[in-house]
Amino acid sequence: MIKKIIAGCCFVVATLAVAAGDGEYAVSKIPAALLKDANAVKRMEKISFEIVNTGEAILRKKYAITILNENGDRQAGFVEYYDKLHEIKNIEGILYSAEGKELKKLKNKQIIDATGSDDNNLIDDNRRKFHHFFHKTYPYTVQYEVEIKYNGTLFFPVWLPREDEEYSVQQSSISIISDASYTVRYRVNNYSGDPVVTTDKNDKILTWEIKDLPAIKDEYASPNWFDINTAIFFGPTEFEIEKYKGNMQTWQDFGKFVHALRQGKDNLPANIKQTVHQLADNIADPKGKIAKLYEYMQQNTRYISIQLGIGGWQPFDATYVATKAYGDCKALTNYMYSLLKEAGINSYYTLVRAGRNAKKIMADFPSSQFNHVILCVPLQKDTVWLECTSQTMPAGYLGDFTCDRYVLLVDENGGKLVRTPKYGMNENLQVRHVKAVLDEDATLQLTSETTYGGLQQDQYHGLINGLSKDKVKEYLHEQLDFATYDVNSFDYKETKSTMPAVEEKLDITVSNYATITGKRLFIVPNTMTRTYRRLTPDENRKYDLELSFEYKDVDTVEITLPAGYTAESIPQDVSLTSQFGKYNCSVKLDGNKLRYYRSIEHYGGTYPAKDYAALVKFYDAMYKADRNKVVLVKNEQTKGF
Amino acid sequence: MSSKLPLLISGLFLACLTLTAQEKSTVKFGNVTEKDFATKVYPIDSNANAVVIADIGHSTIEGNTKGWFSLVYKHYKRVHILNKNGYDVANISISLYADGNAEEELNKLKAVTYNLENGKVVETKLDVKSSVFKDKISKNRVVKKFTFPNVKEGSIIEYEYTITSDFLQNLQPWEFQGAYPRLWSEYNLSLPEFLGYVFLTQGYKRYDINDKKSHMEGFTIIDSRDVGASERYRFNANVADNRWVIKNVPALKEESFTSTIDNHIAKIEFQLSEYRQPLTYRNIMGSWPKLANDLMEAEFFGKPVTKDNGWLKDVVKPLTEGVTGNKSKAQKIYNYVRDNFTCTDHSDLFVDQTLKNLLKSKSGTVSEINLLLTAMLKYADIDADPVILSTRSNGMTYAMYPLITQYNYVIARAVVDGKAIYLDASEPRLGFGHLPVRCYNGHARIINKAAEPIELLSDSLMERKTTTVFVINDDKGNIVGSMIQTPGYYESLSLRDRIKEKGKDQLVTDIKKAFGHEMIVSNFVVDSLDKYEEVLGIKYDFDFTEEKEDIIYLNPMFGEGHKENPFKSAERSYPVEMPYGFDETYTLQMDIPTGYVVDELPQSMVVKLNEENEGMFEYRVSQSGSGISFRSRIRISRAYFLPEEYEMLREFFNLVVKKQAEQIVFKKKK
Repeated sequence: MIKKIIAGCCFVVATLAVAAGDGEYAVSKIPAALLKDANAVKRMEKISFEIVNTGEAILRKKYAITILNENGDRQAGFVEYYDKLHEIKNIEGILYSAEGKELKKLKNKQIIDATGSDDNNLIDDNRRKFHHFFHKTYPYTVQYEVEIKYNGTLFFPVWLPREDEEYSVQQSSISIISDASYTVRYRVNNYSGDPVVTTDKNDKILTWEIKDLPAIKDEYASPNWFDINTAIFFGPTEFEIEKYKGNMQTWQDFGKFVHALRQGKDNLPANIKQTVHQLADNIADPKGKIAKLYEYMQQNTRYISIQLGIGGWQPFDATYVATKAYGDCKALTNYMYSLLKEAGINSYYTLVRAGRNAKKIMADFPSSQFNHVILCVPLQKDTVWLECTSQTMPAGYLGDFTCDRYVLLVDENGGKLVRTPKYGMNENLQVRHVKAVLDEDATLQLTSETTYGGLQQDQYHGLINGLSKDKVKEYLHEQLDFATYDVNSFDYKETKSTMPAVEEKLDITVSNYATITGKRLFIVPNTMTRTYRRLTPDENRKYDLELSFEYKDVDTVEITLPAGYTAESIPQDVSLTSQFGKYNCSVKLDGNKLRYYRSIEHYGGTYPAKDYAALVKFYDAMYKADRNKVVLVKNEQTKGF
Repeated sequence: MSSKLPLLISGLFLACLTLTAQEKSTVKFGNVTEKDFATKVYPIDSNANAVVIADIGHSTIEGNTKGWFSLVYKHYKRVHILNKNGYDVANISISLYADGNAEEELNKLKAVTYNLENGKVVETKLDVKSSVFKDKISKNRVVKKFTFPNVKEGSIIEYEYTITSDFLQNLQPWEFQGAYPRLWSEYNLSLPEFLGYVFLTQGYKRYDINDKKSHMEGFTIIDSRDVGASERYRFNANVADNRWVIKNVPALKEESFTSTIDNHIAKIEFQLSEYRQPLTYRNIMGSWPKLANDLMEAEFFGKPVTKDNGWLKDVVKPLTEGVTGNKSKAQKIYNYVRDNFTCTDHSDLFVDQTLKNLLKSKSGTVSEINLLLTAMLKYADIDADPVILSTRSNGMTYAMYPLITQYNYVIARAVVDGKAIYLDASEPRLGFGHLPVRCYNGHARIINKAAEPIELLSDSLMERKTTTVFVINDDKGNIVGSMIQTPGYYESLSLRDRIKEKGKDQLVTDIKKAFGHEMIVSNFVVDSLDKYEEVLGIKYDFDFTEEKEDIIYLNPMFGEGHKENPFKSAERSYPVEMPYGFDETYTLQMDIPTGYVVDELPQSMVVKLNEENEGMFEYRVSQSGSGISFRSRIRISRAYFLPEEYEMLREFFNLVVKKQAEQIVFKKKK
């Protein structure tokens, strides 16, 4: 009650402050707290999502955004995507001045309609409509209204009032309208309280509303945006898309639907069946069979993405892939499944949300959260994972595109969530030995032998499989961290296994690696493995730190120096231990040989915000230690007196 | 600059070096045998992922049923895919243009993949009906896409198609070079004598065959556009058959410091120049004055600028009222346009919306914005004309020919107090009288009666940066200092953008990141932030609180030195095209730390880039009493260097990086 009265008072004061005649979007009506750190303010937003029946829904959106300065301009544009399953019905837009006076209205011919295809697809049916008022007198307000018809209810919208950093929200609401008998499922992030439930004839309406969200700034290694903001995810119970029906209440139900989409699509042509038996029948070990057939699939298909209508969710059948020798992730995975099936090996078509640092799957909220498909082959003792869109990856290895996350295994009994393997510090290992000779002109002749393991080999796997030898050479000539250098020779060897490794040998000449000034010689003993991360201190760090990449590097360096120098300054050993990992380095002069040792173990995990200062310190200390110089002085010549 | 000219020799003047003009490609559609799979590594490029066995184009002209002529372009290509990284050649996109009733039509598409299976050649045909997709890019442009079926390592793919086009001005150009090496690249062009085209060739490869023959041909034009009986015309004309072949063309290689790779591809392009007998003679290409005049009369370019724009009164009057002098007036108008309009496309030549509408929509392309600027200047009685140019990334232009399609950008030229000022109001913080770097691409043309050519040369731009550092010992014996820096104009421009986006504090953060967080930065000032015509002035004080060792090693550049050689790659095939020349001067005045003596100073040196002294590096350090004076200066006076000069540049910067890494050594007094 007290709250209500206070709110009322504020309202009165606020109204008094506003000059008479100002419109509802007058900037003067924005509470001061919402202007702080903000480039744009969402003034109001009203979303309604009406489930007309299990196969059709209508999304209506109306929102107004005040743009405070030039950096807020990107929030002022209107863009909506459409395809065969989504129709944009109507777009309206109005531009208002700072005082909230209407300046102009959007005319339909000003809406630009363009292809929304991206280069990864050979063809898809994505298109987009967009508009921008391009007003340059700040502040100003834009209001848009749009209606989108959903042909199919596989996807429900997400409510995310604060869509970006430096963006505050005065008011936003979403209502879900459905037949009273229909259950809408939802999952709430950072919203307290229950929805307001109202009814209208046979309809049930659930409404959530939020007010006065101040602007925030995104932070280094912060959790996913959806996890630190108010967000509600919605999902259907019964749904329909094109001719297919399903239920999403449990992962099992959802899996049944996914399975139905590919039912009967695993028939192989006779010649391919024959090939399968020729290849696999003589191999006793199931792992060997899998590897052989996977290799066959890699040799005989390639990734081509065609996404049209339901084809975005339904695979082309195995015969299609066999005759065309191409397919997208769904088609290729289904094809691999079919090959294994013919060889008597059962496997699971598996949905995954792919991408390094992809948003985590909400395991407690069955819904269509995936964007990629891989194959899971369970064996008696372990499980083999296959990425079927790659023509080069070893069987059983996933890489950071799909590792360490929940995935949905699908078969005729439905779906089941399991986790893909995680690659930790001991797998993501880099071991490097450098041997070098420094001559009198400060030129360094260097050979290095490096083994990259786990996720640390991904980049090199891509390099040697994706580029010709000439291009690899070009890459090396551009990318190494030396001022001026030539790569005399290089060699890569790949060990393809479930834990792959790449061995690299480099022979490099570096001009002026050391600095020789008169009698002194300055040299950085850490030649090739330096950290580059430096973070900006932030005393007001708000969110947890999420560090996902765990790794370990070990380096030994031996540099033979020109004769006749003695040490003047040798950096002290550095030994750092923190909750984020361990770092050690040491350098010794042994005759004319400089011996350097360095190791880093970087842990992963979630850390509280208050640990951020320690991370800044840890990275700074490593950065500095990696660049420490050894100073040597030339032995004085026998003096003439 | 004359070094650029050899690229631009017109094909008309190329000597006919035909030696083996009768030589034909042995490649024929469908004629793929086991032998064709035998080569696994081609001598032309042992690293190639795919090799184009033959790429052959034919363009001819025939009468159509719309009462005029059509271009018929036939394209045939065969590629041997050697490994997985060559698979992208199997994805084909064909772009087609349409405008009203006139269109480009794709037909007779055939595509086949050949694989060698058990010693036999197996064919897989593209299902043209179901596997060719259409993507509508815009009102005028459609892209047809397909991919070859059954492609594997070692596959040979082959396709051909015909495009019939109603656009005589779009005679298909031919690129002899591409992402993959080509064993045989051939273009055939049969031109009837009643259509005149200018040939434009570029590249570093000579034609292996450059042949010209002629024959007589009958032409039939049918006009069935009107209702009723269609009209029919027939006549014979002499047709010139041109044939160009280059064999063994290496793959195109990308390099840093090139304006655009397009300038270096071996290619031939055509421009429609005139209609001749038996057609009514008409000069199509005309001359620069004619083109300029046409542009000035065109509704989509000059007309909106030259007509009586009475409606501009409401905008121009308030800007210029009470302002004296044309320069001040011009500046007021320029600032208004720059500050109130958003540029949505920095590559555009013509206007799609009326200038009056632009005033309302507040957004337009670079041509619309700068034509509005020109119109407003004219309205204020200032001598102003539009200027057309091609931006660096759009490629070079031929000053000799009035080829409008080569241009993609419009700026304005105002003449005030007898001086020409070039203006571009499409960049939010660009100062009056400055142009973006992209405009400095050689020839540009003023669109007025005289159609004067001008040259905007990157060689004429000089980025001048000066940095002055003072370091003293304070009362407590700490080393404290101050830094004053004026970056060059273009660096100032990008710093202004960064400050606008991230705030001034971001610069302090950037500095601290470079030096380490232990450095204290205070009294940070950025001068001239809002004076867009001027360079910035950056000043701050700094304070190192580090423990002092017995020996102090100090790099006098204080983090301002070059740490990397910008010319990393060991080899170079194309000229180096930098955006501007530059001149960086750094000076340091410092007290020797209290209680220390100088143990060692780096050697002073001065080197010249070349005999012409087009670049120099100066590094001077000296001690006088209790102070050290230091100065480092790098000057490069040219922006354009030939490939032969690359090694010289690389060595020069190798020396700069080496020298700027050197340290002064102080030792504690005993």
